[in-house]
This record gives sequence, structure tokens and C-alpha cells, in this order.
Amino acid sequence: MHCKLLLDTLRCMATVDGRRSQLLRGVLDLCLLAVMGEGAAYGYEMTKRLRARGLSMVGEGSIYPLLGRLERDGLVETRRQASNGGPPRKYYSLSLEGKRALETGIDEWKAARDAIDGALDLAKVEVMP
Amino acid sequence: MIEFIEECRREWKRLGVPDAIANEMAADLTADIEEAEAEGGSAEDVLGNSLFDPRRFAAAWAGARGVSTSSIPVPDGPSAVPARDRPRWYGPIAALALTAAVLLVALVAAAAIVGRHGSAVAAPVRRILEVPGSTRLFAPGTPTPPFRYSVSGASFVVQQAGPFTVLVFALLVVLIIALGLAVLFWSPWFRRGSNRGTR
Repeated sequence: MHCKLLLDTLRCMATVDGRRSQLLRGVLDLCLLAVMGEGAAYGYEMTKRLRARGLSMVGEGSIYPLLGRLERDGLVETRRQASNGGPPRKYYSLSLEGKRALETGIDEWKAARDAIDGALDLAKVEVMP
Repeated sequence: MIEFIEECRREWKRLGVPDAIANEMAADLTADIEEAEAEGGSAEDVLGNSLFDPRRFAAAWAGARGVSTSSIPVPDGPSAVPARDRPRWYGPIAALALTAAVLLVALVAAAAIVGRHGSAVAAPVRRILEVPGSTRLFAPGTPTPPFRYSVSGASFVVQQAGPFTVLVFALLVVLIIALGLAVLFWSPWFRRGSNRGTR
């Protein structure tokens, strides 16, 4: 009985984690653009900024390929600059196109979020213990 | 950590990433990991699950940046040759070649049995091969069988075995392997594995 409850709980946690992971993965580029909007940052610095906002999605995979894609698409500008006492780092900042993409992305996210909220708010769930 | 970076470098080299860019990526990665470790964290804080698959990570990064001159992806699935690099005719030609090999081996094995073995088991095969008007692979007539089997208790004993027996068994083994490969090639599992590289 206890084992079944434990298994159900673990299964439920795995499902929740999987969904959360997929949701975050879909907007990680947007989140990166957003934290870059606060000021130029290098790779790990962006990871820390995301974590500070409760987004630890980097655990699911690295942000580097995504930064590479943003760079290739011209949404970010890069420059190599000395960091505090450390080796020179590659700093990423928003390009003009990146700012536009961020603005559009935020609008899209809000529209999607409102629509989903509208659907989920209708749900009445009662879970029997 | 060093091993991870080295593995990435090897992958970038394999993908034809220019040295200058590979050095830059390796330096960025090293600096970030060192910073994380200096703060009491680990490489996993920087790389996430990618830490456990450096080749995939390196290929993904180079691919995203568009800096690899080679289109060879990380080997994935049962085939080392990526599906997207295969020409369109690869599948049908490979299947035909495989089928031809199976048929050839089966034909040679059957012909060998008919030509050298006069048992009743070989009669149907002989009938197929000795169609009137067609070229016979072996002269008619039944020479003395070079080997004979007898059942003794539960064991199956080869009383007389020579090079011919070895040849027949070798052909049988080749036939089984070829059949296995043919089944593998056409199985959904193989197709799934091949398609993975095209996504």
C-alpha cells in the first residue's frame, strides 16, 4: 500500500518535472534574451541570472548551443572582454533584432499564457486521498 | 573536467570546426566551469545533463553556431553512417545487395548438397535445379555421400566429416547471418534508429 503510494507520487513528480522541463525549453531562448536585456553577460553569468529567478532549466541541458543559435541568427552581439580578475570572457548582449524578437516573444508568451489560463481556470479538480 | 573539454575538442576537430573557434569555445567553457567550481558548484551546474554526453554537446554547440564544415553528426543508433548523409538510393540498393547475397549463398548451399549428397532430402532441390533445358550446375548421378548422420540416444553424431561438411556448415552460418541482417535492416527498430539522425 505504502509502496504503491510512493510509486504514484514518484510517477506524478516525474510527469510534472517532464512537463515543466518541456515548457521551459520552449521559452528558454526568450528567457536568455530577457536576462541579456539587463546587461551584457557571459554564459555562466546568464545561468546564474536565470537561477536567481527560479529557472534552473540549465539542469536539463546547456545554454551554450542556444546562445550559439541566437548569435548565428543575429539576435545577440558578442564581444570578448576581461572579467573580474579572470580570463577574457565572451559577453553577449541584445542586438536591435534581438530586442525586437524579445518584444514579439513576450507578446506571444502572454497571449499563449492567457489562453491556457482561460482553459485551465475552467477545470474543477477534486483528488480523493 | 579536462577530459570533458578534450572530448569536445576531438568532436569539434572531427566536425571540421576551425581551430580558432574551437579554442574560443573551449576557453569559454573552461572559464565558466572554473568559476562554478570556485563558487562551490560543479561542472554540472554549467552544463546540466550535457556533462554526461560531451560529443553530443559539442556537436550541438558547433551546429547551432554553424561553424562545422562537416555535416557528420554524432553517431546515433545502430548505424554509424548518418541517414541524412546517405544518398536516396542507399536503402533499395543495400536491400537488393543483401537479398542477392542471401539468395546466392542459399543457391550455392543447395547446389552443393544436390551435387554431393544423394539423400532423399536433396531430391526436391535437385528437381528445381535440373529443370529440362536449363544448365545444370552439377553432373547428374549420385556420388557416395561424404558424410552420414546417425541418431544415437539424444546426441546427433557426425560419423564422417570432411572439408565439404565444413563448407556446408560455413555456408549455413553465413546464410543465417545474412538473414539476420536482412531482418534487422527491414525492422521498424532499425528504421527508427536511422530516422533519428534526420530529425
